[in-house]
Amino acid sequence: MTAPISSFMPGVLTASAAARVGFAHRCARFSLRARGDLAPLEAALGLSLPDRIGQRTSAGEREVLCLGPDEWVLHAPESDATAITAACAGVYADHPHSLVDISGREVSFVIDGPRGAELLTLGCARDLDTIAVGEGRRTLFDGATVILWRDADNNFRLDCWTSFATHLFHLLDTGVRELGAENH
Amino acid sequence: MLLIHCPYCNETLPEVEFAYASEAHIARPTRPSETTDEDWAEFLFMRSNVKGPLYERWRHVHGCGRFFNAVRDTVTDKFLTTYKAGEPRPDLSSLTEGLK
Amino acid sequence: MSQYRVSGRGRVDTARPVTFTFDGKSYRGAQGDTVASALLANGVHLMGRSFKYHRPRGAIAAGSEEPNALIGTRRGSGRFEPNTRATVQEIWDGLETNSQNKFPSLKFDVGAVNDAAYMLFSAGFYYKTFMWPRSFWDKVYEPFIRAAAGLGVSPIEEDPDTYASRNLHCDVLIVGAGPTGLAAARAAAVEGLRVVLVDENPEAGGTLLSEPQARIDGKAAWDWLAAELEALKALGVKIMTRTTAIAYYHQNMIGLVEKLTDHLPKLPADTPRERLWRVRSKQVVLAQGALEKPLVFHGNDRPGVMLAGSAQTFLNRYGVLVGKRPVILTSHDSAWYAAFDLQDAGAKVQAIVDTRADVDALLQSEARARGIAVKLSHTATATSGRLRVSSLRINPVAGGTVGAAQDIRCDAVLMSGGWTPSLHLFSHTKGSLTWDDDRTTFLPEKTPEDCVIAGASRGLWGIGAALADGAEKGRAVAEALGKTGAQVAYAIEADRPGTGVSHKELPTDLSAGKAKAFVDFQNDVTAKDLRLAVREGMRSIEHVKRYTTNGMATDQGKMSNINGLNIASDALGKKQPQVGLTTFRPPYTPTSFGAFAGYHRGEHFEVTRKTNIDSWAEAKGAVFEPVGQWRRARYFPKPGEDMDTAVRRECAATRASVGIFDASTLGKIEVVGPDAVEFMNRMYTNPWTKLAPGRCRYGLLLGDDGYIRDDGVIGRMTEDRFHVTTTTGGAARVLNMMEDYLQTEWSDLNVWLTSTTEHWSTVALNGPNAAKLLAPFVEGVELTEEAFPHMSCVECTVAGMPARLFRVSFTGEIGFEVNVPAHLGQKLWDILWEAGQQYGITAYGTETMHVLRAEKGYIIVGQDTDGTVTPYDAGMGWAVGKKKPDFVGMRGLARPDLQAKNRKQLVGLLTEDGSKLEEGAQIVFDPKQAIPMTMVGHVTSSYDVGTTDQPIALALVEGGHGKMGETVYIPMPDRTIAAKITATVFVDPENTRLKI
Ligand SMILES: [Zn+2]
Repeated sequence: MTAPISSFMPGVLTASAAARVGFAHRCARFSLRARGDLAPLEAALGLSLPDRIGQRTSAGEREVLCLGPDEWVLHAPESDATAITAACAGVYADHPHSLVDISGREVSFVIDGPRGAELLTLGCARDLDTIAVGEGRRTLFDGATVILWRDADNNFRLDCWTSFATHLFHLLDTGVRELGAENH
Repeated sequence: MLLIHCPYCNETLPEVEFAYASEAHIARPTRPSETTDEDWAEFLFMRSNVKGPLYERWRHVHGCGRFFNAVRDTVTDKFLTTYKAGEPRPDLSSLTEGLK
Repeated sequence: MSQYRVSGRGRVDTARPVTFTFDGKSYRGAQGDTVASALLANGVHLMGRSFKYHRPRGAIAAGSEEPNALIGTRRGSGRFEPNTRATVQEIWDGLETNSQNKFPSLKFDVGAVNDAAYMLFSAGFYYKTFMWPRSFWDKVYEPFIRAAAGLGVSPIEEDPDTYASRNLHCDVLIVGAGPTGLAAARAAAVEGLRVVLVDENPEAGGTLLSEPQARIDGKAAWDWLAAELEALKALGVKIMTRTTAIAYYHQNMIGLVEKLTDHLPKLPADTPRERLWRVRSKQVVLAQGALEKPLVFHGNDRPGVMLAGSAQTFLNRYGVLVGKRPVILTSHDSAWYAAFDLQDAGAKVQAIVDTRADVDALLQSEARARGIAVKLSHTATATSGRLRVSSLRINPVAGGTVGAAQDIRCDAVLMSGGWTPSLHLFSHTKGSLTWDDDRTTFLPEKTPEDCVIAGASRGLWGIGAALADGAEKGRAVAEALGKTGAQVAYAIEADRPGTGVSHKELPTDLSAGKAKAFVDFQNDVTAKDLRLAVREGMRSIEHVKRYTTNGMATDQGKMSNINGLNIASDALGKKQPQVGLTTFRPPYTPTSFGAFAGYHRGEHFEVTRKTNIDSWAEAKGAVFEPVGQWRRARYFPKPGEDMDTAVRRECAATRASVGIFDASTLGKIEVVGPDAVEFMNRMYTNPWTKLAPGRCRYGLLLGDDGYIRDDGVIGRMTEDRFHVTTTTGGAARVLNMMEDYLQTEWSDLNVWLTSTTEHWSTVALNGPNAAKLLAPFVEGVELTEEAFPHMSCVECTVAGMPARLFRVSFTGEIGFEVNVPAHLGQKLWDILWEAGQQYGITAYGTETMHVLRAEKGYIIVGQDTDGTVTPYDAGMGWAVGKKKPDFVGMRGLARPDLQAKNRKQLVGLLTEDGSKLEEGAQIVFDPKQAIPMTMVGHVTSSYDVGTTDQPIALALVEGGHGKMGETVYIPMPDRTIAAKITATVFVDPENTRLKI
């Protein structure tokens, strides 16, 4: 039986000489949807909203990734959630948008190690070379929608909906050991 | 597995990221209650089922989430083009000429 | 050293002996041997029995095209695989193998009686024999077919191995690492492209491994090969051996199967047995070479009769002489070289028999120089020998007349009917073929893919031609990818170019009717069968193929297709291209189910979604059921309880005090924006404009056809923000449907949709004590009838957690749904569980939820509806906004058929005898009518474990709403049950229990 999601603690979950999978600390996550003039929202949030799908920007510990023509995902420390909600609410009347708290919806795995990128090829059909370092994409990994943040050549964060986490971890763990065995 | 170009992401990506969404350019009547039974049946049920280039809809459901349009040859399974929702349907002759 | 091993030849390591068993007998081979090469080194040719006639058979080839030498391989318990080709399976210490299709032993086989009863088994025999009489089917034909069908014996134990898969993207994929592929790889790699080179063999090299005499750029072939592989690796080329390209799909997607452990004596940890690679390559070079064809003559299947090129491979790659007194029978120059190599290695070649009158003078003089007899313009008409060939009967042919026969004593017949380009993957691309009359073969023409085909697989012959073509094609694909592309030339010496002719079955002086001249060895199809098929009216090659089963075995006609075509077209009196070639279908070679399944087996078979409270349910011993991708607790049995007992207890406890239920899987969608209410008005049947913030309403979602698609309670959190719930299974579908309308029909609306299904853990409390239990934990609202009436919602704090609290009921009892951020769900559950002990709180699952809601007549979309039920049919016309200008399904509801009086309508049923109805049972009005009866509906829900004093059911019945109190009948196999039509609400129709 796979371990329940509640047993995942922040830190390294599985590792081999080839790759490592860790569990990220919980953070505040928002889905932000808006069109038209984004300047008021950008001012409220204190960061610019990238307009190309896959692009990221950050300001302090707030980090945003463009997922669609009018869609961004925003990560921030948990303690920052209330401030973000309030800031956006402050500009809603003049600049309607949708800010939805999805902190409970998702968890993140952290993937690194010399063959971290290759580990993702076990479940991801898209060419990972097309995600530049510093960018991100929503895609499919082993049947589940995920968001990949590429932080370095072999360093990724993988966001997934909580209920898929144990399934995805099962494959990542298998892959970490499989790639590790190849290294010998 | 096909490769599909998403006109919003501007990337060509594996089919698994997409979902098919049936024939394109079938507009829902703006005032459905004023349509005749015949017109409503035409809108609801009738599809062209062409052998050859078909205007159809796809959704980049595991990517940007957008619905968009495509022209795909149902014989060869080749995409002739994809374009954003709301854009006019491209002229077929210009598309087929571009193929080898 | 084994009897037939030639010292100084081959690439196997005779210093590292390997012991394995075949049919229980122990044999010794060398590191690098296949089962076939090791058995041949021991003088064993008999490796199996054929499928239909159980004729003794040996290996005819040396590679994956082998049709005869199919064996079972075993590695301890559970690791048994049938139908492995002995020519592919590498040996290791302890490998156990066995022959197939034999009883009781390989050398004495009872099934060989089929061989004597040959006439019974001719072309189309399945179609003819099993037609009549009908009564024979069950007892005679079917058992016979079942016993005879299939090759080998299926393993019965669960496969203990693991399988893997990976995606790979590259610029150039090259299939086949022979001289063509190697040259193409270099040409592409020097341009800095991502190049992948795959070969199904354990080592790269292809033909070079069988032709060590060649010299390339001044080096001996094998030295050149070793250096070239190192150079390619240094250029970054990914070289994958034991890797078969099994299929070519759209847009340059190629499936590869890499075998990782079948050749290893010890299984390494964490290593899958096979890995399926899904490769997407910008350009593909097919360099799979050519396959040698047998000659078709009586007795061409006897053990010891094999392909000349394969004999050459066994000698040069494995250091094995397949015979000491071989005779060569050929229509192609290549077999002459095989003769020379065997003679030079110590064999005494009895003769070279060539069907052609004219053969290159140089070859003839080389044969004479070696003292080999040469017979030109000859045919072969028979072989003899019991389990091994002992002589070949040949006859001169002059002016179409077959002359007097002569027997040549031999211990092997090495035949060559020329070579067929390997067009399998090219054909998978829907590439067109063109017939080449000179070479009597199909050649590749055009493909719609970004793919080139090079070397022998497009009909070129010889190592020099292969290298040159590979280099040119590699340059061409590099150029197609925007590189300049360098010209590379290779200097080649001691090459063996040659030509040949292709034949139908060879002419004979014996009765053609009695000839067993095999075309398809694996399916036992003879030339006579093909001619019979044509005589019996088959005109298309596809019909001939199916009638005779030619090319339908696991080797997919690799050897038989062209010979079969030559014979069929001769019988039809047409040219081959007019008869056509059968379709090549993937996979190229037989592929294990494991490779296709990959990681998806056991608990990883498919995604199983679990809520944050799932582990609590598991610890409590819940029985789960799948709902969509979710697994949900179905009931919580106490020791000794079956499902009915547990559900009866859960139902009673909930109605008596309080039940707790994990409703987290319910779909949730946040609808936000200035046009949120307008969007809701257009999407759902109900009117939303007047719904005040803080209130919720049951919403009904239709398709534009007017039929119910989904339902759920929807709360208006603020003016511009709705909290929509959907069914568990409908969550993704409903969101997709909403996005579809929003993006493509109503882009005028300023509103956005976000899935919050998983943001919330939803804990439902139901029962008379629900409010009492919950109230002490709630801050921000009083749980009174006045402050928080039924169908209210609020953002508040529950046990210190931020929450969205709904007062709703799917049970008919006082009900609350507490939503907290998902990671807090278990904490909330624990607190309520603890506090609920004073009320005897009971956890219930989906089964109890189903029963309780049915007692109240609440529908479950997909159970009480089936995609043809309108709100009116379901008795929910009250949920349809009558004054709205439009909503999805409004116009559909106005269709005449949906207005008809006699539609099937949802009603309650109570049986007269108090028995429980079966869900799905059909309903009739008149049980005495003749069969087939007119069915007027069916039972949609039925329970006898709830809190009512008799079993209840919901059903769809024609005109049911107008038939209250009438009796309908449910015919069952053993009796007919009478039931009374009632309203759908069985408990508390006045809703008094909803009041706090
Ligand atoms: Zn997209």
